[in-house]
Amino acid sequence: MRNMAVPMASAPRIVPGDDPVIGDADGDPALRFDDVVRRYGEHVALDHLSLQVARGETVALLGPNGAGKSTTISLLLGLLHPHGGTVEVLGTSPRRAVAEGRVGAMLQTGSGSGLPPGVRVASVLQLVRRLYRHPAPFELTVERAGIGALLGRSTHRLSGGQAQRVRFAVAIAGDPDLVFLDEPTAAMDVESRRSFWCMMRQFGEEGRTIVFATHHMQEADQIADRVVVVNHGRVVANGPGATLKAAVAARHLRFVTGHPDERLLDSLEGVTDVVVRGTGVDLRSLDADATIRALVHRGVAFCDLEVTGAGLEDAFVALTGSDRTPDDEQAP
Amino acid sequence: MSGLTAFARFEVARLLGSWKFLAITVGFPVIFYMLFLRDERAGRIVDGAVPWRVYLMVSMCSFGALVSSLNAGGSRLSTERASGWARQLRVTPIPAWSYVATKVAASMVVVLPVVVLVELVGMAFGGVHLGLLSWFELTGLLWVTAVPFAILGIFVGFMVTAETAYPVVTALMFLLGYFGGLFNPVNHMPHALQTTARILPSFHQTSIGLALLDGRGFGIQDTLVLVAYAVVLGLAIVWKHRVEESRGLA
Repeated sequence: MRNMAVPMASAPRIVPGDDPVIGDADGDPALRFDDVVRRYGEHVALDHLSLQVARGETVALLGPNGAGKSTTISLLLGLLHPHGGTVEVLGTSPRRAVAEGRVGAMLQTGSGSGLPPGVRVASVLQLVRRLYRHPAPFELTVERAGIGALLGRSTHRLSGGQAQRVRFAVAIAGDPDLVFLDEPTAAMDVESRRSFWCMMRQFGEEGRTIVFATHHMQEADQIADRVVVVNHGRVVANGPGATLKAAVAARHLRFVTGHPDERLLDSLEGVTDVVVRGTGVDLRSLDADATIRALVHRGVAFCDLEVTGAGLEDAFVALTGSDRTPDDEQAP
Repeated sequence: MSGLTAFARFEVARLLGSWKFLAITVGFPVIFYMLFLRDERAGRIVDGAVPWRVYLMVSMCSFGALVSSLNAGGSRLSTERASGWARQLRVTPIPAWSYVATKVAASMVVVLPVVVLVELVGMAFGGVHLGLLSWFELTGLLWVTAVPFAILGIFVGFMVTAETAYPVVTALMFLLGYFGGLFNPVNHMPHALQTTARILPSFHQTSIGLALLDGRGFGIQDTLVLVAYAVVLGLAIVWKHRVEESRGLA
């Protein structure tokens, strides 16, 4: 299969005329999560969650802590079994896909480094490569993860961000088709976060499927082709980042007017939704300024105008019903 | 299988690369041998037909195996498990059972030179003379019978946290060592302690080695006890692993 030595210059896998997303001949999606239920005792972690990811897609699982993101990833890696529904990875069972070396993962490690203590980084990477039948060349993995300067370092002398990069190298050392990253930037500062995602995006552009969990809305939006918002074990929103952005840019305009004309209001610039209650009007607009100008221009007599706003956090709250913003919360 | 070989080599290299591990593992049995060799028991026949210097050599081989095994597992293992590395290995192609199996195997590889070293010290400083065949038999026997200790070390690493592993390992080292008769022949102990010794694997491992040397032959009862320890501890690890797995922790 794919075992290319030149990462950046590799030919794109999606050829015009081909099936645009599902590039592989067998046509299986990279993963299929069908009506999955998973409980921890009485607590329902995943509540009939369904999800599908096509090959080559980069998908973000976005949600607050406890939403079910890590449980989803554990199920996809065969670390957990579902109590209901089916989980399929690369056309087979998660365990089998892992055993065949087609899947790589960066798991959440809490306070640990996720690496064996007191070993040189190079030795860890060499070992992991040998666990796979068709690993990527050593130098290539080092380059992809940007850990050239860390190879001689002992694993317990790495900063949080450095350990995270080494763990990324471990995740991709086997040259997997599908990579799961659970809160990969949890221990990183802003700068390392940026370079990490740059690295990741390049890796994704080589035709691999990447699924990552995050509670940073911006990360999800900027990196992923598609964002799946999860809360209380269910998918509450699912779509490209742009859709999410639209939700983010939206404002609510509330005002009172004598005789609300719903059709007129709906035709105003930027308006996507109109709710009329008696003389009270609630417009949802993607461009509040333009909508207000249009209101004036069309001669709608309004008073008590109130513009509220859906920032990133508001959109997230709206989607998840969570009273805490995603960025408030830290990985456990 | 090349993945598992690489993993086993990696583990052995980690153990041998740790001077702390080597100092404890090699230091303890050798120092105790030298220390107790010249005390008032020197030259006395202490167990069957075996003089103290020979008894001590066998018991210190056993102690070396115990110290090596407990430290190869123990806090090293619990720290590693806490770091998330064990879980990371679960998402590589190697099978789930190989983690424990490789740890036991690596521990066993390291035990062999410890046994040989104590024997060399016995030969050089204790004046222990055996035929070549007897040396080989003794070494092989003490090595194979170290399996329950290797499993015990891994068991401790699985059961306790990184913080508590250290005192637990130290306590086990000296409890199994002392009450197993490794520092003092069991038949010189009070009756209650003699009974206690007979339920400990350390006693039976030493006993199996001594039986070979004084011509009593192969100790069936010793073997059964050691096998029982290996099986029970092995099953306990499997059980612990299952529990963690069902919670998605392993």
